[in-house]
Amino acid sequence: MKFRISRYNPDVDSEPYMQEFDIEVSRGMMLRDALLEVKRQDETFNFRHSCGEGVCGSDGVNVNGTNKLACITAIADLKEPVEVRPFPGRPIIRDLVVDMSQFYQQYKAVDPWLVREDPMPEQEILQSPEDRDKLDGLYECIMCGCCSTSCPSFWWNPEKFHGPQALLSAWRFLADSRDQATDERLDKLEGPYKLFRCHTIMNCVEVCPKGLNPTQAIGNIKNLMLKKAI
Amino acid sequence: MSRKASGLKAWVIQRVTAIYIAVFSIYLVGALITDAPINYAEWKGWFAGSVMSVATLLFVLSVLMHAWVGVRDVLIDYVWNTSQRVIALSVVATILIACALWATQALVLARLV
Repeated sequence: MKFRISRYNPDVDSEPYMQEFDIEVSRGMMLRDALLEVKRQDETFNFRHSCGEGVCGSDGVNVNGTNKLACITAIADLKEPVEVRPFPGRPIIRDLVVDMSQFYQQYKAVDPWLVREDPMPEQEILQSPEDRDKLDGLYECIMCGCCSTSCPSFWWNPEKFHGPQALLSAWRFLADSRDQATDERLDKLEGPYKLFRCHTIMNCVEVCPKGLNPTQAIGNIKNLMLKKAI
Repeated sequence: MSRKASGLKAWVIQRVTAIYIAVFSIYLVGALITDAPINYAEWKGWFAGSVMSVATLLFVLSVLMHAWVGVRDVLIDYVWNTSQRVIALSVVATILIACALWATQALVLARLV
């Protein structure tokens, strides 16, 4: 099967180029296996990967124009030639390896931890099963970056717009009954950029390998803001 | 628009004005299909009525605000250079305000003359 892989070595190349590889595919083969096969053919080729089962979120790549996790993308479902590129809009470090610093900075900016005003209880902070259910579809994010790097708003303003991943995380803590910093969190999201660059394009929903819905989370944040404002 | 109006307020303005624009447009198109004014005097009389006059002014204002938020969004996304953005926003604002004033003038004259 024909693969066209984006190659770039900043020490040698002036810009990325596509290199063709012929990979013998086997039944049940995943894209990650094919990329490992590419690496066997050409050991200068680089890509990130780790767990190989869609849990660590390391091997996000752009396949035939869509961001996917290579380890849970079956070769059989892909159209030939398979074009594999690094995440769009991110500075390329080498081949398929990109610099995700801004992505992590945006995540950090939403204070992704529980904030308590009350004194900490001796043991755990109790939460009803119903309140716990509100976190379903939010806590599962593995931060692979498929969503944010497929978002045009994040391409245009990655240093100011939080992006779908960080905003999903923001809502994960706003929705948590144990968190007591709702107003502070909402105040931090005000302004034209951090939250309101989202134009509900919904690329994030389409690509999320975990089936999460950042657009819905962003809508929930806006509604909560509105509710608190009137 | 001020920094205060930039986030939530702009978002709410865009949605509220969208509803009014939609409702008024449906009424306008419906009225033009079912009972269109056949001459200038009838046309003028239609817009000189106090309810229609105010409703139309509200419509013009809604379009103005809706367009401002929308165009501002596009400019924030695609024009990063500050001076270029200021110029673009000024041009858009001038055109929108001119349109609004022109429409207001027409509506006021329809009632006066």
